[in-house]
Amino acid sequence: MTEIYAWISNVFLVILSLSFFQILIPESSMEKYLKFIFSLVILAVILEPLMHLVSELE
Amino acid sequence: MDYESILEKQFENVVEGEDFSGISEEAARLTEGLSDPFTLENILQATLEQKSLFQSNSMIDSLKELFLYEMKSALVLMAEILCICIILGLLRSLSDGFGSKNVSQLSLLVCTMVIIGISLNSFRISYGLALDAVSTMVWTMEILMPVLMGILIATGSVAGGTILSPLILGAVTGFGFLVKTFILPALYLSAVLSLINCLTEKNYVNKLAKLLRNGAVFFTGLILTILTGVITIQGLLTEASDGVLMSAAKYSISTFIPIVGGFTSDTVELFIRCMGSIRNMVGVFGLLSLLLMMAVPLLKILVVGGIYKLTGALTEPVSEGKTADGLSDMGTAMISIASVLFFTSLLFILFVTTIMNMGGGA
Repeated sequence: MTEIYAWISNVFLVILSLSFFQILIPESSMEKYLKFIFSLVILAVILEPLMHLVSELE
Repeated sequence: MDYESILEKQFENVVEGEDFSGISEEAARLTEGLSDPFTLENILQATLEQKSLFQSNSMIDSLKELFLYEMKSALVLMAEILCICIILGLLRSLSDGFGSKNVSQLSLLVCTMVIIGISLNSFRISYGLALDAVSTMVWTMEILMPVLMGILIATGSVAGGTILSPLILGAVTGFGFLVKTFILPALYLSAVLSLINCLTEKNYVNKLAKLLRNGAVFFTGLILTILTGVITIQGLLTEASDGVLMSAAKYSISTFIPIVGGFTSDTVELFIRCMGSIRNMVGVFGLLSLLLMMAVPLLKILVVGGIYKLTGALTEPVSEGKTADGLSDMGTAMISIASVLFFTSLLFILFVTTIMNMGGGA
């Protein structure tokens, strides 16, 4: 149970900090790519327990 | 000796040494005194004097009072959230006036976080209420079941008592454990995720929240269906075999014991009928306790959930769509918690009624 709570708080913190970053980054041609990288980071955080499970199964 | 004194004596023998006053106290704590008239003694008196157990006027009055009280405190919450949402909408329309876009966006984020804080706090209270109600219901069943099983065996349902007892106790404890450790936390997490979702412009975890919520409700329904089916079928089977056993016993007593056989058989039947009515009294007490333990938390959670839905609908014109969606998802999560609570008590009530219906052999 504690792992699930830790996972959710991770997701919460990452999304919160990334949305702060998204506001703070200057407008440039790189903005789109940065946003895409942010979504990749969020995806990785969401998938983290699944990766953990897969590595345990092997 | 008339039947009333026999009934009272047997009743005292059964009830003595059991923690029934504990159930009454817990029920009174959880329902804020609504369950006070339904103690075992009152049910016994009502059965003996053949009068109605319910004073419907006072019941309805106190339920209405509770509803209005909860409504009032939830409306305060709604007013708070609505105020912040209006400020949010104002900030957004003023943001063009500010020089930089970043400052206004940052202030929007902070306002949304305040809304999240307020709603998570009230959600945690409802969640705690649901956990408490489920724990208390499981505890009530754990006290009630051994007593009911003992009475069931005393009425002649030997097979019913011995087969159903471990089955039902296991089902109650297991279901309570599942609800408390997986299903309710999953709903809590889904509410948290749907609130996180309204922080960002894009949908990041919307589907994940929906998946958690639907999965939790689906599993509750699945477990409920399986357990109800098993218990009902088992109850029907044992009831048939116990009926044959009881008729055979009565017939053999009245036929094979010379002279006094008829009297003995009648006495046995009187005893069994008395036990049967005691079983119904304890069962009715359990049913009423379970029902009230469910009803009051259910009412509170449903009122708050409905208010969240209403707030979501009201804030949609003033604020951006995301906050309104988050609030409305909160309402859905609350209603899901209420439905899980309802399913749990429905399962327990089904168990008690299955036992009360059994042992009809006399």
